[in-house]
Amino acid sequence: MTPPRRARYSFAMEFGLDDEQQLIVRTVRRFAERDLAAWAADADRAGAPPERLHPAGAELGWFVDAVPASHGGTLESRYLHTTRVLRGYELGRGCAGLAALLETNVEPALAVGAWGSEVARDAVFSSLVAGGLASFAHDSRGRLELIDAGGELRVSGKLGPVPALAVASHVVVAARGAVFVLATDGLARTPITPSGWRAARWATATLDAHPVPAAFVLARGDQAQAATAEMLAWAHSSLAARAAGVATAALDHAERYAAERVQFGQPIGKFEALIRLRDDARTCADAARLMALYAAWALDTGAPEAGDAASRAHVHAGDAVTRATIDAVQIFGGYGFVNDYPVEKLMRDARAFEALHGDERLARVLAARAM
Amino acid sequence: MDLFHDNPLLQGIRQMLGAFAANMMRPIAIKHDQEESMPWDLMRAAQAVGMTQTAVLDGRRRLTGIEEDPDPAKPKSQARLGVAASEELAWGCAGIALALGGSGLAASPIARMGTSEQKQEFRRLLAGNDEHGHIRIAAMALSEPATGSDISGMKTSARPDGDHWILRGSKQWITNGRSASAYVVWAQTDPAAGRAGVRAFLVARDTPGLVPGKKEAKLGIRASETAQVHFEDVRVHRDMMLGGAHSGDGPAGGLSDTKKMLDSTRPAVGAQAVGIARAAYEHLLERVRGGSLHGTPMASHQHLMFELAEMHMEISASRLLVHRAAWMADHHLDNVAEASAAKAHAARTVQHVTHRAMVLLGEEALEPGHPVEKWYRDAKIYDIFEGTGQIQRRIIARHLTGTNPT
Repeated sequence: MTPPRRARYSFAMEFGLDDEQQLIVRTVRRFAERDLAAWAADADRAGAPPERLHPAGAELGWFVDAVPASHGGTLESRYLHTTRVLRGYELGRGCAGLAALLETNVEPALAVGAWGSEVARDAVFSSLVAGGLASFAHDSRGRLELIDAGGELRVSGKLGPVPALAVASHVVVAARGAVFVLATDGLARTPITPSGWRAARWATATLDAHPVPAAFVLARGDQAQAATAEMLAWAHSSLAARAAGVATAALDHAERYAAERVQFGQPIGKFEALIRLRDDARTCADAARLMALYAAWALDTGAPEAGDAASRAHVHAGDAVTRATIDAVQIFGGYGFVNDYPVEKLMRDARAFEALHGDERLARVLAARAM
Repeated sequence: MDLFHDNPLLQGIRQMLGAFAANMMRPIAIKHDQEESMPWDLMRAAQAVGMTQTAVLDGRRRLTGIEEDPDPAKPKSQARLGVAASEELAWGCAGIALALGGSGLAASPIARMGTSEQKQEFRRLLAGNDEHGHIRIAAMALSEPATGSDISGMKTSARPDGDHWILRGSKQWITNGRSASAYVVWAQTDPAAGRAGVRAFLVARDTPGLVPGKKEAKLGIRASETAQVHFEDVRVHRDMMLGGAHSGDGPAGGLSDTKKMLDSTRPAVGAQAVGIARAAYEHLLERVRGGSLHGTPMASHQHLMFELAEMHMEISASRLLVHRAAWMADHHLDNVAEASAAKAHAARTVQHVTHRAMVLLGEEALEPGHPVEKWYRDAKIYDIFEGTGQIQRRIIARHLTGTNPT
């Protein structure tokens, strides 16, 4: 079957930010530069966020901005992914691990808001409004086994690693065939500290015929597939923005260092090879930011290419952040390899952006073959 | 062509150290990475199979039981043995391999330029146990906070004082820097002479004024200790200066000799990178062989298999470059450009292979203690230490045209 022909892009050309967006960017940038960046190194070493993070995120309203106002949140109408991507880029410049915690409630809240039963909404939203956190997990490798037990689901297999799962009250899981909410009470979780996003309170969970009540099942079958695609588009655009932020931070550090470090009689930043290294990585990072913004715009306007744009933004941002952070370590040389300087953390942080929610290149290959 | 074809010595080294790496290094690699600790027990045990801290001084007999042909005109096998051994050990764990061989960095200049008295003193300083009950190890202190790639701007000074030299300065990124019992320290004896004035000194750990600094927390090779070392007016007897005092164009011992020494280690460093790359590639291949992807065999997917083919090509190419550079050294040929090419290519290969292996393995590689994630972190240093990728390309470029491009 030949796929239907369509234009690759919807008509679009608007790069300006409106007043509200500018205000948001300024606010987040100040927070990321003043607070997140200052907390980043200690949080990384400790493998935990500072106590001040949660009150700060709550004060900025980010834990409940995807929770409907009718349930105690601040979402009045449609959720704006463009705003989230603008925010995510700035947060990524501050600290990827802390940003992951600040952004963790969005997918679960939007999913429960879109497809949740009243029971699920009450359970998840009341927890989030009370200051709780929730996670989103995508079973991209098909490791979970789902058994239908008369409306209720029985889930077995391994989940994760998932950021924030160690402290979350709920996790929204997108698996093959179903999207559902797991309450973490009674869930066998193992908190872990991977080498990237170390402060992000990761965990894995092992499920053995774990029961999911019918009211916590958000979607089944084809509907689940569509819901998963939509959640992935939200997550991919946000991850891409944060990855572009990390890439930008790495290159900013490298540029400052290269201007100061003198070897062979000149700042190393004057050597053509290092100019090229920075320059190519900067091109990739800038493109990643634009692709994330485009994906978010497509989501906000309901453009048909939104999912595809978000998936490509995620892949490209993964490449860009890997490249930028590796090159930043290279420019720092021996100092880049040690923990006293900021870039080796960024190289470790880059990894999670590529690994979370599955390999989109592989997903597209499999989809194209199946067509 | 098999690199090891018809060469029982190389085959033997590969088998012996391959088994050592699999049985002795792999089981403890993750632990030492996570703890950022030295593998002291293994370092002691390794002495029994010839991997002593003074092995560089002892030549190849220690490891193989066979002496080199003493005729200086005849081809040697030391460099090729070195690269074969380095690949196997780094396949086991690059950090542990560096812990096992770190003293060799200090032993090299002693072997190259040391008098018999200095060699004896080095052996004496490394005999027995230290105050922690560990075997004794050595450190070479060359890099400084302000001189990484460009060692000609060395700030550490040595000024004469009767029969002694007084050393003053700080050294950075020193392997075994905290735990060493003996240090080979490079210092400027005559600032007016520039590179020709730089000399190395053998200094015992307990010499007053020698102050080990902070141990670095690192991205990778965490089983190998890296630290700063400070020299606060350290008095060293003139007999402990390597290569004789600077006088006009002077005897051996200046910085150009040091550079030659660094050149000679590059094939082995490249071989370590090949070893890590091979480890990641084999891990992925093993997973692909038995694995399935959404109901189809992994090995039936070009998406995966072409990447493995690419890794295989790059690893083979790196290994060939490494062995060519070593072969040239053994045949007394100038291999500076070839050694740089081997080291730079292997550094690129290991970064590519470890990164792609991790991506193809997916979320599982995020879990703490995953070997591929460790190899990815270990890989990066190969583009930085012993001459960065940029320095290697500079050397190759200068070889091509005689000009130093900036």
